[in-house]
This record gives sequence, C-alpha cells and structure tokens, in this order.
Amino acid sequence: MNQHERIEFDVVVVGAGLAGSAAAMVMAREGLNVALVERGQKPGGKNYFGGAIYTHAIEEVLPDFMERNPPFERPVTEAGFWFLSQDGLMRATVQGGNLDRSPADAYTTLRASFDLWWAEQAQKEGAFLIPKTTVVDFIREADGQVIGVVTDRPQGEIYAPVVIICEGVNNLLAQKLGLIDRDLEPAHLALAFKQVISLSSETINTRFGLPDSEHGLAVSVLGDVSLGLPGMGFVYTNKTTLSVGLGVMLDTLAEYKLKPYEVLQRYLAHPAIAPLVAGGQLLEYGGHLIPEGGYRDMPRLFTGGAMVAGDAAAMVNALHWEGTNMAIIAGKRAAETALEAHSRGDFSERVMSRYEDRLKDGFILQDLKQYRNFARFLETHPEFMGTYPVFLNDALGNFFSAYGKPKRRLFREILGALTNRRSLPQAAGDIISMGRAVMGW
Amino acid sequence: MKRNDGFESKELPAEVQGTLPDVYVDDLLVTIKYFVDEEHAHLWIEDHEVCARCRHKPCLYFCPVNVYTLGHDGKIQVAYQACVECGSCRVGCPYSNIGWTLPRGGYGVAYKFG
Repeated sequence: MNQHERIEFDVVVVGAGLAGSAAAMVMAREGLNVALVERGQKPGGKNYFGGAIYTHAIEEVLPDFMERNPPFERPVTEAGFWFLSQDGLMRATVQGGNLDRSPADAYTTLRASFDLWWAEQAQKEGAFLIPKTTVVDFIREADGQVIGVVTDRPQGEIYAPVVIICEGVNNLLAQKLGLIDRDLEPAHLALAFKQVISLSSETINTRFGLPDSEHGLAVSVLGDVSLGLPGMGFVYTNKTTLSVGLGVMLDTLAEYKLKPYEVLQRYLAHPAIAPLVAGGQLLEYGGHLIPEGGYRDMPRLFTGGAMVAGDAAAMVNALHWEGTNMAIIAGKRAAETALEAHSRGDFSERVMSRYEDRLKDGFILQDLKQYRNFARFLETHPEFMGTYPVFLNDALGNFFSAYGKPKRRLFREILGALTNRRSLPQAAGDIISMGRAVMGW
Repeated sequence: MKRNDGFESKELPAEVQGTLPDVYVDDLLVTIKYFVDEEHAHLWIEDHEVCARCRHKPCLYFCPVNVYTLGHDGKIQVAYQACVECGSCRVGCPYSNIGWTLPRGGYGVAYKFG
C-alpha cells in the first residue's frame, strides 16, 4: 500500500462505551481528529449493567448535559440495601436530603439508549464514529511504540500516534500489548445477569412507594438473593421498566454448579420480590462480567502511544456501585494526556505516564488503592452476603413479634440468632476485617 | 495462571438445596436480539479430549445463555449463536480449552435495552 492510501487520525479510541466516548468527546472538542471504533452495530449494543449513571462524571465531560436531553430513566431519590432471608425482607434505604437534588446525583439508565446518546455527543464534537468494526491488533514500531490499530475490515489499518483502549472487561487488547500478562481470575469476576421487566409507571410508583415518575429507587440486595453465597442482587426502577438481577462471583457459580438463570428465577420468585414484578412482561434478559478485583487486577495503564481506561483497566469499586463514573473520568484523563502529547509532539511512554499521574490526583486511583483488599475480603468473608443479612431479618423479625413476651428472653433469642451462626469474637473479628478492607489498612 | 485441576466442587448449604427452579432458557433467549454470523463461529472447543477428561465441566452451568450443552455423543456442543460475549467461558474454562474471539464487527449480541 502506498503512503497516500493510509487512513490516519490524531487518535484512535477503541470502544464507544462510557470511557471511549468521553475520551473522544474531550479530544474532538479541542480539535483533534478522532476515530471512535465500535464493534457493535451501534454504540451501547454490547453493554449491560444494573444500573445507574452518576452526574458528577457526566458534568465533568459535558457541563450542559441537562440541556442535551440525556436518556435518563428516573432520578435515584431512594437508595440503600435490602436484606433477604429465605422468606423475609428487611429494607435499609434513605431518601430526602442529598437524594432530593436536581439534577440528581444518580439516574437509573438503560445502556442501549444511554451509550448511543453519549457517543452522539462525541460525534457532535466532531469525533468520527466507525461502527461494526472490531479492533484485533495494533500497529507498532520496532521499539514497540503503538502507531495504530488493525481492524477486521479489509485493509483495515488505522494509523494514529495515540490509541486509547476502552475495550471493556474482556481485556484482549491490553493483553496483546503486554499491559497485563493474564486473564482476570474467576474469583475476581462477578457474572451479572438481569431481566428488564415492563410495568406501567403507575404500577411501579405504587409498588415502590414513589410519588411519581420523577422519583426512583436503586437498591443492592443481599442474603438469600445469592443463596447466601458471594454475590449481590439489585433492583432499579426505570420509567416503565424494572431492572432486576444479580451478580455472583464466577468461581462460585462454577464450584456450586449454579445456572445463572435459575438463580435469577429463584430471586424473582422470592415472596418479597414476586409481588413487585408480578404481571410484568420480560423485555430482555442478558449478562455481563464485572471486573471486581480492583487495584490488584489493574493492568499497566499506559505504554508508548497507548493508554487503557474503564472496565479494561478493572476500574470498579463494587461496594460503592462505582464503575461507570470511573470509566467516564478515566476516559477524560486519557484524553487530556493525548492532548498534551499532541501539543508537545511527543507520544513516548514518558508523556503517556502523565495519564497515571492524573488518575492518582483524583478519586479513581486513590479509592482503588484504598479498597485493594476488598475483593479478597469478600472472598474470605462470605458471611456478609449470607449469615448477616439473614440474622438482621431474624433479629428485627423477633423484635417486632415479641409482644407479651419477657424482653430478657427476646434479647437472648436475638443474641442466640447471631451466635448460632457466628460466635461473638468471630463477629467482632468480621467487623474489624471489614473496616480494614474498606480503610485499606 | 489457570488452575489445571478444575474447580473445587462444593455442596450448597442444606437450607437452600432443592430451591432452584427449572428454567426453560429459550424463553429468555427469545428476548435477546442478535446479528448472527452464519459463516463464522467465534467460539469453539479446542480439543474435545480435554473436555472428556474435565471432571466438573463448569461451562455447562455458568454460561448465562446455555451456549454449552452435552451432546448425545458425550461431546460438548457450542451454540455460539446465543452467546452474549460476556467472557465467562473464556476465563472460566479450567483448561483454557475454549477458543474465544470477539464476533466480527457488527455481528453478535445487540442489546435493545441493556
């Protein structure tokens, strides 16, 4: 091929998800020629999540986002935990206060529409979207410097001095580049699966105690939802649908020979959940992996001419439901680094390393480092997903059925409900372990 | 790296044994939109001998869309058309015996809601 036929851009972004389109938006706005390569028919088609999107991250990339009609479902005005026993439910949620702001901190969302809109904003800034195209390799110089990508199109080479890899949880390209030398482990990957269930907005409002469609609920569900095994369920209210599902660690599914759709069906049939979804029509089922290993599973974040962001870089904080926001902010930080590289005309590893410096300045690397032991903590303390949620149900259930009973006996029963499962020293140890895992000590 | 001895097999706690319902997976699959690449399978078994020696065959369980089933001949069959590209089998096969690539551009799952 002669020099003139080369397809050249200032930057190639691999993947038009949350990280990729954020990066493309920021760079195109500053005048760079950006190719945004997406393997799906259109952006969003490959993505699946709970879930909610956080406005602090959107605003950082797109300050006027509310004027651009983002396809949000409902603001999250009530959030918290539900603890399931086999036949009971204890709710611990908050509403009002910080959850009563406009725009809200979080909006429930469906990814097919949100990611499409997000990529359209990048296109409006001038990014060039190349859909239906899978990136399969890199073009590199003899010294390893990345100078482009190879796609599965005929003559599908695209040259660019910077490539931002936002390929998602299946980190094939990061591995190809040697940024990480292994697949993520099943013990650090949650397989999440959910159903999108159609109900009228009035039915949703009534069943979830929401005054209108401008109020929404987002909860994590612990306990019987995952048969007490390492995993966590969720319920998100959308405008006229519910997103109900759960994530279970992949090694747990394998070890106990569990079929995801059976675990989900069991959850939907739970006596406290079934009335919430009753009469609803299943619109879509699906599944996706979540990289929950955090800091210890992160690849090297850059090399000469390339950076990696989002799920591909294991940027997820499972306890705080964070991941989408990290992807967006990391995409922006990678974009800033690409802009700096272009203004200096220097795409070396030294300049790319400024991406990591930028991430260290903010919550992403600080939090991921602080929570670096959290994945292992959950692995070694499954009682937080089994024993304790069931105990909380029993304890509160006993408290509110102790009428006419000597209260000394009540408290002995409650204590017994705990010590039947964990001794007091064990329980104290569990709580200290959780504190250490969260604080990063 | 990968454990080549397979997964540890564990028993469910007594109180939840027998509480999992039977599910007809096709009822779920019909809700998923796909652009199926009829000419090219993006998943395959590398070596059926390895599967024959695999004690627990976890792929038969953890795949969220039941891509892997046991045929009458005892071989693992791969219904790649139903794949949602999650990657569970790519990392979950204890022998790294599943060939896994992304579908060609434009093909594969296309979630309508996500």
